[in-house]
Amino acid sequence: MTDIRYEQWEPVIGLEIHIQLNTNSKLFAPSPNRFGDEPNTNISEVCTGQPGSLPVLNKEAVKKAVQFGCAVGARVAHFSKFDRKSYFYPDSPRNFQITQFDKPIVIGGTIACDVDGAIKHFQINRAHLEDDAGMLKHFTNFAGVDYNRAGVPLIEVVSEPCMHAPKEAVAYAMAVKAIAEYLDISDCNMEEGSLRIDANVSVRLKGEKELRTKVEIKNMNSFHNMEMAIEAEIRRQCRAYTLKEEIKKGTYRFDIDKKETILMREKEDADDYRYFPEPDLVPIVLTEAYIEEIKKSLPELPEERFKRYVTELHLPAYSANQLVIDKALCNFFEESLKICPNAKSLCNWLTVEFAGKLKDTDKTLTDFGGNIARLVNLIDNGTITGRIAKDVADEMILHPDKNPEQIVAENPDYRPMHDTSDIEPIIDQVLLENPASIADFRAGKTKAFGFLVGQVMKHSRGKASPSVVNDLLAKKLQ
Amino acid sequence: MHDTSAHELADRFKKGELSAVQIVEACLKRIALHEPKIGAFLKVLNERALRKAEELDKKRKGGKPLGKLAGVPVALKDNMHIKGEITSCGSKFLSNYKAPFDATVTRLLEEEDAILIGKTNMDEFAMGSSTENSAYHITKNPWDLKCTPGGSSGGAGAAVAAGFCPIALGSDTGGSIRQPASFCGVIGFKPTYGRVSRYGLVAFASSLDQIGPLTTNVQDATLVMEILGKHCEKDSTSLNLPWKPHKEDKKKLRIGVPKKFLEDLPDETRENFEDALKIFGAQVVDVDLDILKASIAIYYILSSAEASTNLARFDGVRYGMRSARATTLEEVYDFSKQEGFGPEVKQRILLGTYVLSSGYQDAYYKKAQRVRTLVIEQFRKAFEICDLVAMPTTPSPTFPLGSIADPVQMYLQDIYTICVNIAGLPAISVPSGFSKEKKPFGLQLIGPLLKDAEVLHAAHLFEQKANLKLSPQL
Repeated sequence: MTDIRYEQWEPVIGLEIHIQLNTNSKLFAPSPNRFGDEPNTNISEVCTGQPGSLPVLNKEAVKKAVQFGCAVGARVAHFSKFDRKSYFYPDSPRNFQITQFDKPIVIGGTIACDVDGAIKHFQINRAHLEDDAGMLKHFTNFAGVDYNRAGVPLIEVVSEPCMHAPKEAVAYAMAVKAIAEYLDISDCNMEEGSLRIDANVSVRLKGEKELRTKVEIKNMNSFHNMEMAIEAEIRRQCRAYTLKEEIKKGTYRFDIDKKETILMREKEDADDYRYFPEPDLVPIVLTEAYIEEIKKSLPELPEERFKRYVTELHLPAYSANQLVIDKALCNFFEESLKICPNAKSLCNWLTVEFAGKLKDTDKTLTDFGGNIARLVNLIDNGTITGRIAKDVADEMILHPDKNPEQIVAENPDYRPMHDTSDIEPIIDQVLLENPASIADFRAGKTKAFGFLVGQVMKHSRGKASPSVVNDLLAKKLQ
Repeated sequence: MHDTSAHELADRFKKGELSAVQIVEACLKRIALHEPKIGAFLKVLNERALRKAEELDKKRKGGKPLGKLAGVPVALKDNMHIKGEITSCGSKFLSNYKAPFDATVTRLLEEEDAILIGKTNMDEFAMGSSTENSAYHITKNPWDLKCTPGGSSGGAGAAVAAGFCPIALGSDTGGSIRQPASFCGVIGFKPTYGRVSRYGLVAFASSLDQIGPLTTNVQDATLVMEILGKHCEKDSTSLNLPWKPHKEDKKKLRIGVPKKFLEDLPDETRENFEDALKIFGAQVVDVDLDILKASIAIYYILSSAEASTNLARFDGVRYGMRSARATTLEEVYDFSKQEGFGPEVKQRILLGTYVLSSGYQDAYYKKAQRVRTLVIEQFRKAFEICDLVAMPTTPSPTFPLGSIADPVQMYLQDIYTICVNIAGLPAISVPSGFSKEKKPFGLQLIGPLLKDAEVLHAAHLFEQKANLKLSPQL
């Protein structure tokens, strides 16, 4: 068998992210833009491509596209236009899509994101406005088309081929999603299809300048799948080149069970979409004042928040990123900060303790309101110990309506020992049981001190006040 | 009553001299009598018209305010939607297609109490210059039943000339209002691009299409334009400007004539044109519009390119023709188009697809767009030294049905009208006399952008001076 040396190869990844904009109505028609309704109820003569119908541009969609452009530091075009992209498929009501070909509304831009604790910058090539297609529904003996989705506004965010590892692609995609969420321009729900990602993947020998043939992977409906799909495709290409096989241009999908990319169709030649300017629409002309106004009104964005967390709240980069990348979590953290000033501890309780405990429940952090912040406050003001807090947290999950103060008040076990008279006998017993550790400590092994503290905490079932234990033990060992 | 003008009919109805039912009955009677030999209509809306007439009579009796076109029968070319009625576009593909909404022009006409009397015949999807491309039947010219009424709004021209209705709306992409108007001895006005909403007009070539009136006199055409020349939010290319009526001034009109461009005019047409200029009595200046020689070539590239995508929606999936033979998706597409479209439409779709294809787009579509810009520029320069440009509407009067088989010869019919659509300008065809064979000639007056009212006014002056008798013997 030929030995495949994967490390010789450099993957090159570019992403095309389709973001459905959460406007009230569609991109070119007044019909509602709403997911999950009965088929063909949110449609009009425009969405179904009736002859005599004409598109009228939704200004709200333009605004959201401009917000995105401003948020990623792109150039927002003062002049952009729409084009017809021709292809035949039943979900396309006019058999051409209205998109932006050579004059997109957003040009360039940069996404900063945390990859394994280091901040990396990835370049956006462009973002353009276009309308979504309908959806084919297959039944046993026929297929139908649902045009509810037809005409939903999209921005397609096209990256440069600037990522070189699956996890970079994931970090980039998550950062783009976070920006869209912070701007509130999209629901970004991958399962419902309001965020869809296609990856263009190729590999080349390290040091090679030219790009080799790329393939496109579609239908990756989670970040996890996306990472696996890109990884699988990279390995397939490395194997193929090593075995002197050809990589053909084509569209692949990811088979989750086989963990393989599967060929959907080959692209012998580039598809000829016969792009030309859409004569039924006038160009989008934006003034500098309009763009400036939008720039000024942007909310705090993930990147700024990340910087604030690291520099002002002194959170570790990893934790800061974990918060920032998830808008709902991060907003909950922000609310909790108003109650509890201890950002580090709060972050830990949210992202580690509660996140872990809630994993297999139907509850979410927001069910707890300010109670998690209040729990951290109880630790910080010495009312309970960290060990007790974990038990209190378990009870909070069982009774989300109870606040932690109440839970602590109702259970005598949750009151920590502060009295020397209560703690001293425990310390004495621990010292009696561990002569070796005492000897170690005296011989200069400071670790032994920590071990002894731990033993005391264990014997007190976590109730002993750590500061009191520390003081007493230190005195006794002198 | 059939030679009464629209404004006069509205007047007499409002005064109570004529009831709306009387008007419609007279109209329907004349249609019943002469339509079999003309074939102007694809559908006569008898019941709808009578119902509307009864409503109007009640409205008048009740003393309620009446619209500007109260009691006036109006026909629409069959590519404009009347909700609930078939819009066939002269195509088999849409023989079962009921319009799901009213065109803006339909709404505006009805708001002014016009009575919609029928849908007129046309070349399939407005592609043609003789109405012979209709999938249903041919239309004959009321002046000579062996001859064509022109096209593609041939049904509209014939209906007005035959006195079936005083007003018909046509659509003009390369001359489809003006050429039939000229062939039928009636007025045909193509407004500035964007002046009339295209919402509810089935698109042929979106950047060239305009709706306009065919009437027996200029005053009626002006009246229709005052009603239709409004901003429409459902058409992004609709001008957001109010209709500006003509302001009287004492300045003598300067008429530009592109002498070199017109050097190939046949003798009889030249004679008529030169006589018309004399009758007009305006100051004539020579203007350089040689670039217009390229207009037919660029027109067939641009209009076909747009049409190939506009007509892509006719695929048999959602509405219209679906081939009974088709068993797969590909067959639904292939057979439905094969069976639903006529040869001219297929030819234009092929041409349009070709000129947009990668590898050919630069040589055809993009080059044509650049020449379009030159045409616009050349017209702009011409209007620096004249108020209006005058040309014959067509190289010759109406020709016998079936006499032009070569499509390129047919395309040359529009040599003087196409350039106007390319530049988006307002233009009118106004009758200017007859050939030895008693076939009408038309004088075309072209104005600068937005000078619609000025074009109409000049045509009105000419009409008064020419003072022609324009009723064909049926």
